Amino acid sequence: MEQEREKEILSAIHHCVKCKLCSIASFHPNVEWLPLCPSGQYYGYQAFYAPGKMEIFRAILEGEITEPSEGLLNAVYACTVCGACYEKCKQITSVELGAPELFEEMRRELASKGWILDVHKSIAEKIKETKNAYGEKYKYKAETTDQNADVIYYIGCTARYRVPEIADAMLEIFDKLGLKYQVMGEEWCCGSVLFRTGQVEAAKELVAHNVEEIRNSGAKTVVFTCPGCMKTFEKDYPDMGVELVHSTQFLTRLGNMNLKKDDLKAAYQDRCHFGRDFGIYEEPRALLNAVADIKTMKRENEQAWCCGSGGGVKSAFDDFALWSATERLKEAKEAGAEALVSACPFCKRNLKEAAENEEIEVYDVVELVNRCLEGRLR
Amino acid sequence: MNETFSKSVKALQAIVGERNATDDRAICTSYSRDQHWHFVPAKNPACVVRPGTKEEVRSVLMLANKHKIPVIPYSTGINVRGLTIPVHDGSILLDLSRMNRILEINPEMKTATVEPGVTFGMLFEQTRKHKLRPAFPDAPLTVSVLANYYLRGIYQTSATDGHDHTISYEMILPNGETLKTGSRALSEMPYFRSGVGPDFAGMFCAHPGTCGVVTELTAKLYRLYDNRKEYFIGFDDVGTPTEFIYNLMHDELAASIRLVDNQSWLEGIFGTFDYAYEKLPKFVLCVLVEGVDGIFDAKDKLVRKYMNESGGQVLELPAEFARTFEDECLGGAEKSCMVFGLPGKGNYHCIGLYGPLTQAAKYYEVHEKTALEVGIPKDHIHFYIDPIYSFHGQLCYFELDVFYDGSDAGFGDKLRNYNAKQFHRLLELGIYGWFRPYAGIIEPTAERIGYLAEVWKKFLRVLDPNEIMNRGKLF
Repeated sequence: MEQEREKEILSAIHHCVKCKLCSIASFHPNVEWLPLCPSGQYYGYQAFYAPGKMEIFRAILEGEITEPSEGLLNAVYACTVCGACYEKCKQITSVELGAPELFEEMRRELASKGWILDVHKSIAEKIKETKNAYGEKYKYKAETTDQNADVIYYIGCTARYRVPEIADAMLEIFDKLGLKYQVMGEEWCCGSVLFRTGQVEAAKELVAHNVEEIRNSGAKTVVFTCPGCMKTFEKDYPDMGVELVHSTQFLTRLGNMNLKKDDLKAAYQDRCHFGRDFGIYEEPRALLNAVADIKTMKRENEQAWCCGSGGGVKSAFDDFALWSATERLKEAKEAGAEALVSACPFCKRNLKEAAENEEIEVYDVVELVNRCLEGRLR
Repeated sequence: MNETFSKSVKALQAIVGERNATDDRAICTSYSRDQHWHFVPAKNPACVVRPGTKEEVRSVLMLANKHKIPVIPYSTGINVRGLTIPVHDGSILLDLSRMNRILEINPEMKTATVEPGVTFGMLFEQTRKHKLRPAFPDAPLTVSVLANYYLRGIYQTSATDGHDHTISYEMILPNGETLKTGSRALSEMPYFRSGVGPDFAGMFCAHPGTCGVVTELTAKLYRLYDNRKEYFIGFDDVGTPTEFIYNLMHDELAASIRLVDNQSWLEGIFGTFDYAYEKLPKFVLCVLVEGVDGIFDAKDKLVRKYMNESGGQVLELPAEFARTFEDECLGGAEKSCMVFGLPGKGNYHCIGLYGPLTQAAKYYEVHEKTALEVGIPKDHIHFYIDPIYSFHGQLCYFELDVFYDGSDAGFGDKLRNYNAKQFHRLLELGIYGWFRPYAGIIEPTAERIGYLAEVWKKFLRVLDPNEIMNRGKLF
């Protein structure tokens, strides 16, 4: 790490006074004790809360920790990098570096030393071989409807291989609305999991490929159903001169789609990358409101409880990921919701697995839109 | 890690479960520093143990006592004085945060009984259902109720509550014996402080984990009133408002009375950095009146009378400032913690002390003098006063604050110089006592308290003959 950057990081770490207010949602004025940090809440040791992780990063940079340990890898990687701690900290301090940024930097530092979980290494190998994060050999079937369409739909690994109902719904929406679109002939993983787990070098090939495909398509807009992919394009890809939009933004922008509202009582799960990273909270809610009866949970928007799957957690710490999702499902049920609706394949996959024995449905918002779409724009 | 200690970790895991005890270096590192690191350098415990029950605590202590392993009790970890940073190699850090049950809220008795991991936020969430609240310290509401009361925190957010909120508690000693204080020793009713014989609760209190491990504590709760009114009065110096403060305290009129400077705590009390604080007078007295209908009106009338005679400037401020002030004083400090992150500074140092209101101007004078002498810029020097009911001896808590950039090592040197001079100067000037015993403060103090220091040491050795409890942290 460059000396100047190291100094900047250490300065930010020194400014953490370890008040741990970052571990709870705003207490006033509702006077409710609501944990915010899934990792700290689940594992309990100080190392799993933001102040403890920062202390570990300090010790690495200052040469006190010179070799990996199980506890080190767990503390660093059993974090969804959801950024809830940073949102809370921002309210009461003038922090100069966000915790998620610090923690991703810490992962890069660890990865540069080869201190990385085997399961994350194995994902990198799968991606290298199959160009998708799940190592699947088959292709999700999707066809471009117009080679000259301005819109290209970037489907993403999870919607292609784990929750294809989301990609199916999005493609049906395009068709029902009579909108022309492209899909990539060779869509490769966006590299999110590699960036989030510090394996930046391994992601370079993916970036180069996807950039070339998109440039060659001539599309002006890339539509994502996965905020994780969208964040990666936004943060880690070069500027391609195209607009990057999420499905909920894209559909909201279309105006009245002649949606027939369902009487389903639904709570909205803010995707961390979508809300906290992009500040997008309203569009998905507006869309959901058009198709369902929205129920409000106690922790929403900037202080939403993470579903538990991001940051490489689902692949490496599935018990923790499912616990976090179960906590969220409980909260949705307490709010009177019959369904918990996300706008992210990753959230949906984890929440759906956790909901297996719960009396609550899990959807992506595009599934509900597709269900309620009467066919064409008014 | 030597082999004997590795065996101890196995034995500890056998007590608390494998998941709850570890000697993993990274996990231990996360406990190695608190915000007092310019004075207490980072040091790792050898292992961290997280008991879930008092029986597990007892077994851990007996094991440690047998092998003479130092034990550092730790509740929720929001510590500002280095009290849970190990002094010796091979220490066990006893993280009690899993023990987070509210054992009882008794509205009739106006008490709550809690375990060490219960925070002020957790407790208030439950007590407010009964229109009751704990006495809040001016510490984040993430701090442990038990540890704060046991260590006698500072409760300036509501002066009415006074200084001591502990009624009785249960402590496990290194030999495994359980010690119960007050009426708790005699019956299942833990609601009376004095109980039998001397005030044992008082004798064991304020020890930084150096006697034993407190596993449950019964504390006083206070009433929440519907009638509230806030006033903010500006002054250009520390001396002028003291008569007004005296009148408020003497006539027992206000719940919260806080004289703060306009560049630090006021930002937290009002909950925003985004205000032209520099345009306000240098010191602002924040006053909150509360009470039942008739009494509230009478108190409020008198407060306004004294306010108009005070020589201060009654400030018209945005309504949300008053609301935040109320929340912070009577509902737990959250936005107040903005002082921990002031723009361009970010770190907090203070000397907290108790003394009479009559000395207020002198304390401020010596604070400014010493700080300037060691090279601390004037705009980093801050101060506040909080009077405490029932005001015998004109008891006040004073805080001599410096907000600074902790990543500036040179500033750390200045603060160490400041402390070294200031402890002696304040002792010369005359104080009632310190906020808490901690690094650097106990030595010059022990020199001055004569035979009491010897008795104190002997008392600790009776309870802890092997000196395992937070060894080296006090004497």
